[in-house]
Amino acid sequence: MGSLFGDWPSFDPHNFSQLRPSDPSSPSRMTPATYHPTHSRTLPPPDQVITTDAKNILLRHIYQRAEEKDLRPKRAAPEHLVPEHGCKQPRASSSSC
Amino acid sequence: MFRSNNIVARIFQRQICTPAPGTSVHCARRFYENLVPSFTIYDVECPDHSFRKFTDDGQYLISFSRNNQDLIVYRPTWLSFSCKEEDCDAHDLPSKARRFESFFTQLYSVSLASCNEQICKDFFLYMDSNQYGIFATTSTVQSQEAPATGGAIPGFPSIEKITFHLLRLEDGVILDEKVFLNDFVNLVHNMGVFLYDDLLAIVSLRYQTVHILQIRDSGNLVDVRAIGAYCHEDDELFLNSNAQCMAFPDKSKLHQLPQNHVQNGLHHSQPNLEEFFLSGIKQRLLSFIFRRIWNEEKDRTLRVQCLKKKFYFHFQDYVDLIIWKVQFLDRHHLLIKFGSVEGVVQGARNADHYPAFFAVYNMETTEIVAFYQNSAEDLYHLFEQYCDHFHSTSRNSLYMNFISSHSNNIHALEQLRSIKNKASSSSQFVKKMLGSLPFSCQSQSPSPYFDQSLFRFDEKLISATDRHRQSTDHPIKFILRRPPYSLKFKIKLGPEAGSADGRTKKFSSFLFHPFLPLALSIQHTFLSSQPSVVNIHFRR
Repeated sequence: MGSLFGDWPSFDPHNFSQLRPSDPSSPSRMTPATYHPTHSRTLPPPDQVITTDAKNILLRHIYQRAEEKDLRPKRAAPEHLVPEHGCKQPRASSSSC
Repeated sequence: MFRSNNIVARIFQRQICTPAPGTSVHCARRFYENLVPSFTIYDVECPDHSFRKFTDDGQYLISFSRNNQDLIVYRPTWLSFSCKEEDCDAHDLPSKARRFESFFTQLYSVSLASCNEQICKDFFLYMDSNQYGIFATTSTVQSQEAPATGGAIPGFPSIEKITFHLLRLEDGVILDEKVFLNDFVNLVHNMGVFLYDDLLAIVSLRYQTVHILQIRDSGNLVDVRAIGAYCHEDDELFLNSNAQCMAFPDKSKLHQLPQNHVQNGLHHSQPNLEEFFLSGIKQRLLSFIFRRIWNEEKDRTLRVQCLKKKFYFHFQDYVDLIIWKVQFLDRHHLLIKFGSVEGVVQGARNADHYPAFFAVYNMETTEIVAFYQNSAEDLYHLFEQYCDHFHSTSRNSLYMNFISSHSNNIHALEQLRSIKNKASSSSQFVKKMLGSLPFSCQSQSPSPYFDQSLFRFDEKLISATDRHRQSTDHPIKFILRRPPYSLKFKIKLGPEAGSADGRTKKFSSFLFHPFLPLALSIQHTFLSSQPSVVNIHFRR
């Protein structure tokens, strides 16, 4: 069979008969679309190192809350200060003060 | 994932279907819906020991002799008889199979306690990476109200000698021991000790110290640090070398930001203080509370008023707090529960009347990271969302990560929500929930039959937590969570006949094997003369 899949078994011998094997010597006419960035705003800084935070998520939250409490002044603004970490969870009202 | 409930169909389907990402263990556990311990052998003839627990890797069954002096370890095996008949299921089990020895082989018996000591039956910790077990023996001599001498605080009983034994369970060799003299450690249900990986935290209530020990692979118990009077390892050396420089604290310095050094500890120079300084951990705590209130208010006069109201007014209450219970959150962080002496001595009975606080303490930087009251909504939200991280398990034992909790199971979460909605007061509910913190170590069984997404059962009668419960004559039903919601198996404590003496209170405990469809149910009364009744539940 001259199909792309050679002599592989198939339920129906007419399956895949339309496909023709691609010639490995000639370059393929279909090149996949590639995208290039038009700006360099999103390049990472050259000294960026990505590591895993060894703290588990519970401790990370505890530390975040502690830092937020240090940052925010008491009853300053009605809306919460956006924490630097971009945490999306709504903060519960603090009753420990 | 499985379309059929038939086990053969499921096995075939397992060959061709890949489970959804991250759910391979959950899919494998669904086979436990088909393999259930539905057959019971009632009142098995077994040696008169008190059976404590299956180890979490399922290799050993730990039991103690009646006189609490010996440790006997069994290996769980399985029945090994064959039936040559045509229809084997109809046949009853041969009488040889109905014995305790068919299921358990005794490996060894070791005497842990000498003549005036006894093994604490409620205490057992297992380190599965090396198959080490930790047991505790206490001397029978106890004084209830010990005097406060040598740094001890009054109000706690004093046990003459508490020994922690480290055993290699493979062969019963005692590897190391750690002795505490004239001390009090709460050993009931592993409450005063927490094992995380190879780190062991022992809370000495009398001396208000948290001893951190490391279990090395060689089998040695090594002291790492002792948190209480001192925080850093060299604090004592520092203080002693500066003894001659200790002067009365300058009163004008009291309102400045205190440093995190021991010598500038924030305290009133009360002449009736036995020791000159408050303990290291107390100083960390007080300075944390002070700085937190200080940072919240920018205006100077308001700040001082805030301090007066919230800190100085309650100063003596904070100073009187004692360490109650401790758990690891990870290798460097401890969750410490503080309470008043009366609250700790009375235990959980009157938890509402006495204040309790939680502090997260970093052992490396010796800083308190967070401090909550036991009614704090903040902490409750963390507890609700990340309960699994409070049950901190070592990285090695993956199966412990699949114990159902309200953070990883929708059914458990629904139960929690229903309790929350029924609660009359929100702060009472929060206090009750946070009362279970810090968690005790290894108190839950990893058996898949307690997985809330597989089975539904009455939590008051049986649950993953190993506690004695009041016996019931009714069988405990395990019902499938998924369609067809059928009853899969029952755990029944005794044959139909009720007890002759209806007034004897019977208690039952359940030991489930971590992965085999094998469970022991033990019914006993408080009268030690009556032997306990042991039933074996297994899949026939």
